[in-house]
Amino acid sequence: MAPAVLVIVLFRLWPLLLGVNFSLTGDGDRNGVVVGLDNYVELFADPLFLGALRNVGWLVLLLPVAVAIPGILATFIYLRVPGHRFYRSVYFFPAVLSPVIVGSIFNLLLSFGGPLNRLLDVLGIGPVDWLGDSHVAMFTVVGVHIWATFGMALVVFLSGFATLDPALLDAARSDGATLPQVIRHVIVPGLSRTIQFVFVTTMIGMLTSMFGLIYVMTSGGPGGSTYLPEYYIWIQQGQMNRPAYASAASTVLFLVMLVVGLAQVSILRRTGRED
Amino acid sequence: MRGARISRWLIAAPMALLALATIYPLVFTANAAMKTRHDYVLDRFSLADSLRWDNVVTAWTSAGTARYFLNSVIAVTGAVALLLLFGSMAGFALSHLRFRGSRALLLGCLAALFVPFQVIMVPLVRTMADTGLVDTYPGLILAYVAQFLPFTIYLMASYYSAIPAEIVDAARIDGNTTYGVYLRIMLPMGLPALLSVGVLNALFCWNDVLIALLLMPSAEHRTLMVGVTSLRGQYSADIPTFASGVLIAAVPVLAVYLFFQRRIADAVTAGSTKG
Repeated sequence: MAPAVLVIVLFRLWPLLLGVNFSLTGDGDRNGVVVGLDNYVELFADPLFLGALRNVGWLVLLLPVAVAIPGILATFIYLRVPGHRFYRSVYFFPAVLSPVIVGSIFNLLLSFGGPLNRLLDVLGIGPVDWLGDSHVAMFTVVGVHIWATFGMALVVFLSGFATLDPALLDAARSDGATLPQVIRHVIVPGLSRTIQFVFVTTMIGMLTSMFGLIYVMTSGGPGGSTYLPEYYIWIQQGQMNRPAYASAASTVLFLVMLVVGLAQVSILRRTGRED
Repeated sequence: MRGARISRWLIAAPMALLALATIYPLVFTANAAMKTRHDYVLDRFSLADSLRWDNVVTAWTSAGTARYFLNSVIAVTGAVALLLLFGSMAGFALSHLRFRGSRALLLGCLAALFVPFQVIMVPLVRTMADTGLVDTYPGLILAYVAQFLPFTIYLMASYYSAIPAEIVDAARIDGNTTYGVYLRIMLPMGLPALLSVGVLNALFCWNDVLIALLLMPSAEHRTLMVGVTSLRGQYSADIPTFASGVLIAAVPVLAVYLFFQRRIADAVTAGSTKG
């Protein structure tokens, strides 16, 4: 038992406790001094951090889109639309690119005279300041994140499809079920575990792997509108040299992820039961 | 019949458009890299008139990219070698050696999978600073190993558990020690899994920006991804050279993807469906 306990403590509990403990101390002049909840009080008074939490709320709302796109595409690929092999490898390829590369490429594409605005121009819609407008920038970054990661979820969905019993599909088809009916009554219930998995991993991905994109594309701007907790933690740790304060933000991020994760699992369980 | 044909187009057209949206950003970047600065400013969309490599040469030589590239290669090689060694040993031990607490140890590794990096990053930087490992190759390599080892152990253990215990027993009867079994049976039989997980880990480490940014602050130790972000400031008025730098960082990834597409997808899904 001893080694097992050691690993759990070392990998999971120790850094977490270290962080929580550290978050109760001061920075700079008050280095090492226990300051109680001061850091947390300051955190929840900082409009940048509150903005970061509000952006987490947007991520939760956009989550169904980020799951539905790869889910629907995987369904078509599974049903063997023409060229499904080609689509599978093309869709997956952005998933292997670094957020830095993706962000750099999209900085070019989204510039004022760039391809996307040119396309809008052809369609007769005015140019959009994708990264400079504080109401738009967060959605732009999330959109690019979805562009870069839907292939990963797609592959997971496809491996879920591999466990689906083809006889069920054949039966549904010979009963004359339409495609939406097949999706609703055969595919969704059959893949409930996979869907649950994709929901949770996509959410974790949104909360923990958008650092590179934000760093490259917006640096949190304009006006702090594209902050996420992880970027905030990095700024406080690396730029502001306030590690204890950053620990407090880390602890909040962990709690947010815990709550969001548990809420998702319980919601998905409940809807699963209704089917 | 007619209805089926129309609905098929309704599916095929968006899928083809999406495939275009997946490929075009990279084509645009590659095209920009092949243009002169003058041509790019004049018209971003026209095809480059010839394959000009002088931008690539500028990006490679003048901006320290060659140095960053080498730093990345050192860090990735070191991290992947250690990950494969530790991962295969631990995977073998957890799947075939019954000892007290082996089950709990495996659970401990699983638990570590769910602790996001952001939560432990502040304590990690502090520990590295205390031990003098900040801004050194061993420090960065160790951080990568710590970050990706739980996933590697988990995949190796689930791969090895499919190897029948009889094979291990037979090898022991033939006079092999535990290390003999590992070296002569497990290592060769595990090659396909080692290749998959090695490629995936190499991509993770190559693409990382957050850990490298935290642990390799000095300019001569920058990894390629951090280097690309600094290129952006340096060549903000010279997009073709900046695009060339992005291309230099992306090409190794694209090559690995083309060669190991299936293995990457397999490793991703092996971590998902059994999780």
